[in-house]
Amino acid sequence: MTDLIHIDNLSKHFKILNRHQGMAGAIRDLFSTDFRTVKAVDGISFDIQPGEIVGYIGPNGAGKSTTIKMMTGILKPTEGTIQVNGHAPYSNRIRQAQIMGVVFGQRSQLWWDLPVIESFKILKEIYKVDKQTFDEHMGLFSRLVGLDKLYTQQVRTLSLGQRMLCDISASFLHNPQVVFLDEPTIGLDISIKAKIRSVIQELNRTRNTTIILTTHDLGDVEALCHRIIIIDKGRILYDGDIKKVNALFGAYRTLKLQIEDFNDSTLSVLQKKLDGKFGKKGGIAVASTEDFWTDVTIDQARTPLSDVLNFVMSNFPVYDVRIVEIAMENVVRKVYDGALG
Amino acid sequence: MKHVRTYWAILRGSMITGLVYRFGFIFTILGNVVYLFVAYFLWHSIYRNSTTLHGLTFNEAFIYVALGSTVFILLKTYAEWSISREINDGKIAVYLTKPLDYQLYWLANNLGFTVTNLVAITVPTVLLLIFVFKVSIPLGPGLLFFPLSLVMAFLISFNIDYAVGLAAFYTESTWGLSMTKEIIVTVLSGALLPLQFFPDAIQKVLLWLPFQTIYYTPLTMIAKPDQGWGVFISMIGVQFAWTVASFVLTRLFYVQAIKVLRVSGG
Amino acid sequence: MQTLLRYFRLYFLIEAQYIKARMQYRADFIISSIGMFFTSLATLAVFWVLFQSIPNLAGWNFMEMVFIYAFYMIAISPMQILFDQVWWLRYDVQLGTFLKYYFRPLNMMFYYLSERFDLKGLTQLALGVVLLIYASIKLGIHWGPLNVLLLLAVLFGASLVLISIVTIASCSAFWITNSFPVLNLAWKLREFSPYPMSIFDGAFRFVFTFLLPIGFIAFFPAQLFLRPQEVSPLIYFTPLVGIGLFALTYWIWMLGVNQYTGTGS
Repeated sequence: MTDLIHIDNLSKHFKILNRHQGMAGAIRDLFSTDFRTVKAVDGISFDIQPGEIVGYIGPNGAGKSTTIKMMTGILKPTEGTIQVNGHAPYSNRIRQAQIMGVVFGQRSQLWWDLPVIESFKILKEIYKVDKQTFDEHMGLFSRLVGLDKLYTQQVRTLSLGQRMLCDISASFLHNPQVVFLDEPTIGLDISIKAKIRSVIQELNRTRNTTIILTTHDLGDVEALCHRIIIIDKGRILYDGDIKKVNALFGAYRTLKLQIEDFNDSTLSVLQKKLDGKFGKKGGIAVASTEDFWTDVTIDQARTPLSDVLNFVMSNFPVYDVRIVEIAMENVVRKVYDGALG
Repeated sequence: MKHVRTYWAILRGSMITGLVYRFGFIFTILGNVVYLFVAYFLWHSIYRNSTTLHGLTFNEAFIYVALGSTVFILLKTYAEWSISREINDGKIAVYLTKPLDYQLYWLANNLGFTVTNLVAITVPTVLLLIFVFKVSIPLGPGLLFFPLSLVMAFLISFNIDYAVGLAAFYTESTWGLSMTKEIIVTVLSGALLPLQFFPDAIQKVLLWLPFQTIYYTPLTMIAKPDQGWGVFISMIGVQFAWTVASFVLTRLFYVQAIKVLRVSGG
Repeated sequence: MQTLLRYFRLYFLIEAQYIKARMQYRADFIISSIGMFFTSLATLAVFWVLFQSIPNLAGWNFMEMVFIYAFYMIAISPMQILFDQVWWLRYDVQLGTFLKYYFRPLNMMFYYLSERFDLKGLTQLALGVVLLIYASIKLGIHWGPLNVLLLLAVLFGASLVLISIVTIASCSAFWITNSFPVLNLAWKLREFSPYPMSIFDGAFRFVFTFLLPIGFIAFFPAQLFLRPQEVSPLIYFTPLVGIGLFALTYWIWMLGVNQYTGTGS
């Protein structure tokens, strides 16, 4: 099968004005020609096959959206090759736009003041979608996300979750070959997140649409992707099966505890008791990162989190508990440390 | 007075912001220079057949109009647009949680832009007037009152903008309101034409309105400063009364308007 | 041709919906129209006040100025009604919301302009037409079919000249982000276009005729109907001037769109 997206040694450099501080700096900047070059993307290569869902992740400023902008034809690369469906995206923007769908998490691309159905009717005309395909797709969206119940509502009156579901539906309306989803679950609560993930999965399955997902939420990646590409400082750190990366963040959870009468010895006492209960190889580490919070990091592959929680609750005077997933920055740090060797 | 530092920080911030957009800054100056030339030709043409009109010589009328456009740039801070946008999108709630007075916050913010412009616009304008247009700057007691008058003009103008901005609590249609205010202030204040040019009956009405204190008062002090002290003292008195009135009225309006937010939740 | 028809259809589809949605804010529409009405009349009021003190301005009497001003109001209406969205370009560029316009298989300028249809501009247009008729009657201008055709042709050109100047100014946002002072300058220049060009000295007349051709927005073309015998034949080319400038505008727009990279990463 041919690659849908082919990227080879791709780079994008920007020139940025160096700004100075304070009032004197602001006046100096008026006349400044002091530019520096930033390598937002610095020689990346990968191929994506039709029908794949790829997680494209990395910390802020890693070069994610610069890559997406090159794939969507907004930015012209400084160096290297990029082809989507056999064409350089920037060479013919209108032709390429016809085969793409794009969703930006925080900004709706629907018509703000119009009822939802009118936005879809306009999109039908813009993408020259025939009536049969349109009806078929609208039926599909109604089944999947209950779109028909939102038809008469103005886009600006929708809740964030409803709006996202509408935006995602809209991006699939013209049967694109590839859909770019940028932070599709940002700012949403857990139940809506789950809903959105299942809708994305369903659309990918029924339409065999390639999906490129950028996100800060590792839960999205875990739920949707088989393949993950991690980028940092413009370079690719990892490209491969998600299962290996999963071990870094999927299996680990951190239990945050507030323990009454917290003192210098609390941490060591807790560690000793946990080791005594679950054994030295239980994969449990105790640390304190912020005032009054005790962090217990647990490798769920070895010890169930619920067991640890029960044990701690019944043996210590705990008055507050939080469970957090490992952060994107920690994953990237671990990859740097050679965890994927 | 211990809050002065807070508002000074806001003022300084907006001055720096004004400088950051460096090209924009140059265009503001350029725009004013072009306007000065156009005004020069227009008024030259108006004075083609007469040496004085309504007691004003060409020299005086041109100083009035030229500095009028400069003062216009200084006073036009578009505060009403920013304030109404903040109210409509609910961002005002953020300010209400801070230990800030909303009116003074915006006053400081606008003053920053005005101070930046004061230096950048006024200096080239005055140089241009003297060296290119060969205008002779008249001297007289009016000049002494000008700085104070300009400050009060700024305050009155700001308070009108602020009130229009607050109207956003009641209606989303601030475009029409801002536009109408803009045109009323511009025409009735004597920003485009000295009040002397208006027919007598209209002039009498205009002198009773607050708008003339924004442009006509300070501009008269600098364009025709060689009048008696009494003239200027009474002008300043009227202006002071309007300044106080504008603060009292906007404060009362704010108290009323904020109730809408408290009741309906914005 | 087919593409053109498709774009027309799309434009009507989008604007019809847009107007329907705007109609929900009826108060806004009414107050805006009133604001527009006063704004349009303000300059005329200033002219009127001025003409209380002088018999004519560089040889042009008050009613002739009314005619020129009415022509001006009609000529600037298409900018107001169809191109009002360009005022928002600087926000969209600054906030990065401009990005979304790249993602549709549509001409970007068309897609961007279709976002807004300014109803209150219709007030200005109507007022302009009424004033033009009024001044024509007062001045005894005869309107034959040829003259009407000529009027429509030069109005078309004059509109494009203004649209081009303002849109180019707005496009500066692609390079300098805050294009407001540039836009403001262009907007201010527009207001000088009804003044008799003869009040300016040679250098300025040259600039306003050839470099920033605001003379073509109102004074020159309006002269064709007031004093045709005094007019330079060059003025008959107003439509071509408009079309040429608009082509330049489109080229600059594309240049800006291609180099705009969006804020934030």
